Amino acid sequence: MRYLRWLLTRLAGGLFVLWAVATLVFIGIRLVPGDPVEAIVGGPGSQAGPEAFALARAEYGLDQPLPVQYGTMLANLASGDLGTSYSLKAPVAEVVAEQLPGTLTLAFLAWALAWVLAVAAALFTALAAGPRLAHLADALGSGLEILAAAVPHFWLGSILVLVFATGLGWLPPVATDSAAGLVLPVATLALPLAGFLGQVMRESLATALASPFALAARARGESEADVLLRHGLRHAALPGISLSGWALGSLISGAVVVEALFARGGLGRTLLSAVTVRDIPLVTGVVLVSALTYVVVMAAADVVERLVDPRPGSARTTALRASTPQPAPAGGRP
Amino acid sequence: MQKSRRRAAASAAVVLASALALSACSAGAPEPAPLEPVAGGTLVYASGDAEPDCLDPHVGGNYPQALLASQFLETLYTKDQDGEVVPWLASGADVSDDGTTITLHLRDGIEFTDGAPFDAEAVKANIEHVLDPATTSSTGYLAMQKVASMEVVDAATLRLDLSAPDAALFESFTQPWNAMMSPAGLERSQEENCAAPIGTGPFVVEDWQRQDAVTLVRNENYTVPNPAATADPEHTGAAYLEGIEWRFVPESATRYSALQGGTVDMIDNAQPDTIASAAESADIEHLDAPRPGASNRIELNSSKAPFDDARVREAFVRAVDVDSADDSLFFGSAERSYSPLSSVEPMGYADESLFARDPEEAARLLDEAGWRETDDAGYRVKDGERLSVHLPVSTNQSVPAEQSLFEQLQATAKESGIEVTTELLDLGSWYGALGEHDYDLVSAPYTKVGPDVLRILFHSDSTVPAPSGYFANHAMVREAAIDAALEEAASADDPEVRAALYAEVQAKVLEGYYILPLYDQQNHFLYRAGLHGVGETTAVATPVFHNAWLAD
Repeated sequence: MRYLRWLLTRLAGGLFVLWAVATLVFIGIRLVPGDPVEAIVGGPGSQAGPEAFALARAEYGLDQPLPVQYGTMLANLASGDLGTSYSLKAPVAEVVAEQLPGTLTLAFLAWALAWVLAVAAALFTALAAGPRLAHLADALGSGLEILAAAVPHFWLGSILVLVFATGLGWLPPVATDSAAGLVLPVATLALPLAGFLGQVMRESLATALASPFALAARARGESEADVLLRHGLRHAALPGISLSGWALGSLISGAVVVEALFARGGLGRTLLSAVTVRDIPLVTGVVLVSALTYVVVMAAADVVERLVDPRPGSARTTALRASTPQPAPAGGRP
Repeated sequence: MQKSRRRAAASAAVVLASALALSACSAGAPEPAPLEPVAGGTLVYASGDAEPDCLDPHVGGNYPQALLASQFLETLYTKDQDGEVVPWLASGADVSDDGTTITLHLRDGIEFTDGAPFDAEAVKANIEHVLDPATTSSTGYLAMQKVASMEVVDAATLRLDLSAPDAALFESFTQPWNAMMSPAGLERSQEENCAAPIGTGPFVVEDWQRQDAVTLVRNENYTVPNPAATADPEHTGAAYLEGIEWRFVPESATRYSALQGGTVDMIDNAQPDTIASAAESADIEHLDAPRPGASNRIELNSSKAPFDDARVREAFVRAVDVDSADDSLFFGSAERSYSPLSSVEPMGYADESLFARDPEEAARLLDEAGWRETDDAGYRVKDGERLSVHLPVSTNQSVPAEQSLFEQLQATAKESGIEVTTELLDLGSWYGALGEHDYDLVSAPYTKVGPDVLRILFHSDSTVPAPSGYFANHAMVREAAIDAALEEAASADDPEVRAALYAEVQAKVLEGYYILPLYDQQNHFLYRAGLHGVGETTAVATPVFHNAWLAD
C-alpha cells in the first residue's frame, strides 16, 4: 500500500514535470524573435512566397489563436502524438527514436565510467596511501577532482582530440562504428562527472570511516579492507546514487556539446539544430523525452537507494529526521 | 579557381584536362610516373556545413543542400572549365526576339536512376515543382519566377513562356537549386523525396542516417551529358569511386584532425589557420573555389540614422582597417575584394580607390556631418547622442576569423570616434533582428550564379520583406537609377549591354558607400594527396567527384 502510494505520487510528479516542460517550451520558443513558419518553408531567411507561407501556416495549424495551438499540442501529447517536425518533415517520434539510442549509450557509458573512476579514486586515497600519507593523498585526489569537475566539456574534448587523435594518433577524432570511436566522447563526458562524484564520495567515505559503526566493526576484529568495502563504501555510495539522477540529466545536456564536437548522431545535435530553426514540435519532443528520461532515472535512483540502505525512508530523510530536535513526549511518566 | 597543388601536382594533371595543366609545373621537382585512375573505393567526405533538413534542393534551397545535391542531381545548364554557361542536360535553346519564349532542346538517351527517361515532361514537372507553393522553394523559386507557362512540344523539346524577358534564366538553370529529379520521385510525399531524391547524377542516395551521414553509391549506368563541359572529356562512363560517405562534422578542429589521421579524405569549410598549417604538409592539398554571386561584404543600413547620411557611411568605411585583418586573421587565405560581386563573376566591377583607409578623411567627413563633439569615452557626439552603430553577428554563418575581423573593425572604428556594438546571435534571432531593422551594419552571404544577384541585393523591391520578414537589400538601397538599370539589364540579351548596365549599378552602390566589400565568400576544401581527380566544381563552386579516384 505504501509502495502504491509512493508509485502514484511519483507518477503524478512525473506527469507534472512533463506538462511543465511542454508548456515552458511552447512559451519559450515564441518569446525569441523569428517566426516558426520559417522552419517549415526552408529555414529562417527563406524568401518563399506568401502562398507558401499561408499554406504552411494552415497545414500546421499555426493560423489558429495561441490558446487553441496550446490546447491542440497538449491533446496530441496526451494521446502520445509528438507531431511532425517542421524542418525535417518527419514524425518527431521517429526522429527521436532514431537519435535516442546514440545519446543514451553515450550518457550511460559516461555515467558508468564516472562511477568507476570516482570509486577507484576514493578507494585509492583511503586504502593505498595508508594513514601516514592520508592527508597528502586526500589533498591531491580532491584537487584533481575539483579540476576535473570544473573543466567545460568543450575544452576538455578539444584537448583530448588534440592529444590522443591529432598528436598521438591513437584514437579517431570523429565517432566511428568501432568501440575506439566511443572512447574520447565517453571520456569527455565522464571526467567532469567523475570529479564531482569523487568529491562527494570521498567526503562521505571519510565520515563513514570515522563513525561509531566503523569503530564497532573494527572492534569486532574486521580487517580495515572489510570495514572500508562493506561499511564505508556502501555509505559513501548513497549520496552518489541520489546524485545519479541529476548526473544523467547533466550528461544529456553535455551530449549537445560532445555530439557536435565528435560528430556523433544523437538527441543533443538534433536539439541544437531544432532550436536554431524554431522547430517547435521537434524541440518539444526532444525536451520531453529528456525530461522523461530524467524522471525515470530519478525514480530508479530512489529504488536503488532503498536497496542499498533498507532502513525506512531514504538516507537523506533519516539524516534529516535525526538532526531535527525531537519534541519531548507529552505528559509525564505514569 | 585556384589550386595550390604541391608534390602530387603532376600526377593529378594527367587526369585533369589541359586547362589545369598550366599550374601543374613545379620547377625542379622530380617527375613522378604518370598515374592511371584506379576504380573502386569509398570517398569519406566530412562536411562542416549544416546538415540539410531535406536532400531535395527545391525545398528551401541553401548551400548545404547544393553541396550534397551536386553529387546525385544534375542541371539543365552548367559552367565549363572557362566559366562559360554551357548546356548540360539540355542540348541548347532558342530564344524568341522579344525574349519571352524559350524553346529548350533536351539531350537524348539520359535516364533517371529509377529508369524513367529524362524528357520534356520531366523538365516541366520539375519547374512546376519549384514553382508550387507547397514545395516551399525559396532560392529555386526566385530564379524561376518569370516562367508563366510551359508546353511540351515533343519528348525532347519544351517551350517556356515568360512573363518578362529574363537574361539571367540560363545562369539560374546552372544552380543545383533548380536541378532535375525523376517525376515519379517528385510525386511521392515530400518526406520521401527529401530522404532520397532521384536524379541523373554520377551517384545515388542510398541511405541517410540523420545527424550522422548520407551514403551515396555509384550510378552504374551514368553517362556524362556533355563531355565538352568536363575536365576529362575521355571519361564519360560511371564514376571511378564506388561510393561516397558524406559525413557531417560540425567542429572544424575535429574535421581537420580526422583529415590528418586519414579517417576522412576531404573536408570543406577549412578554416584559415588550418589552411595555413595544411600548406606546410605534403600530404594535404588545398582547393580554393570561391562561390559565385555576391562578395562577402558589410552592408550599411542607409534607411536610418546615422547611416542615412552618406558622409557618415564613408567615414565608417575610411575609418576601419580591413587589410591587416586578412594577414593576421585569415593568414593571407582571403584576398580583399573591392566589388559587390564575387571574383568569379565576369561582370564584376571593382574600385579600390574608394576604400583606402584614411582616418583623417573620416574625421573631416564626421565634422562635416555634424558629429563634432567628443564624449569622455572618445566617441563622437551630436545633439547629445553618441555615434554608435549596431552589428548583429550570426554565429552560424560567421566563422571565428570573421568574428575576430568584426572585433578588429570595432577597435579601428573606435579610433575615429565611432562606436560599434556587436551582438552574437543564433541564426533565428539574427534573422529576427534583421526583420525588425535592429541593425546598422550586417554581413550576410548570398550565393547565386550571375550578376543578377545585384537585383536581389540592391533593387528597392528587395527592401520589402517577404512573409518571413526577410528582405535581401539590407543596405536599404532605394535609388530609381539603380532600379532602372537593373531592370534593363534583366531584359537585355546583349552581354556587352548587360555588362555596362551592371557596371553602372555596381559603381553607384560602391560610390554610395552602401557596402564595405571584404573578400570572396570563403569556400576552401582540403583533401588527402592520395585523392586524385579533384578540383572540378559546379556553377555554385560545389565539388563534383565523377573524375575523382583514390590511389590507396
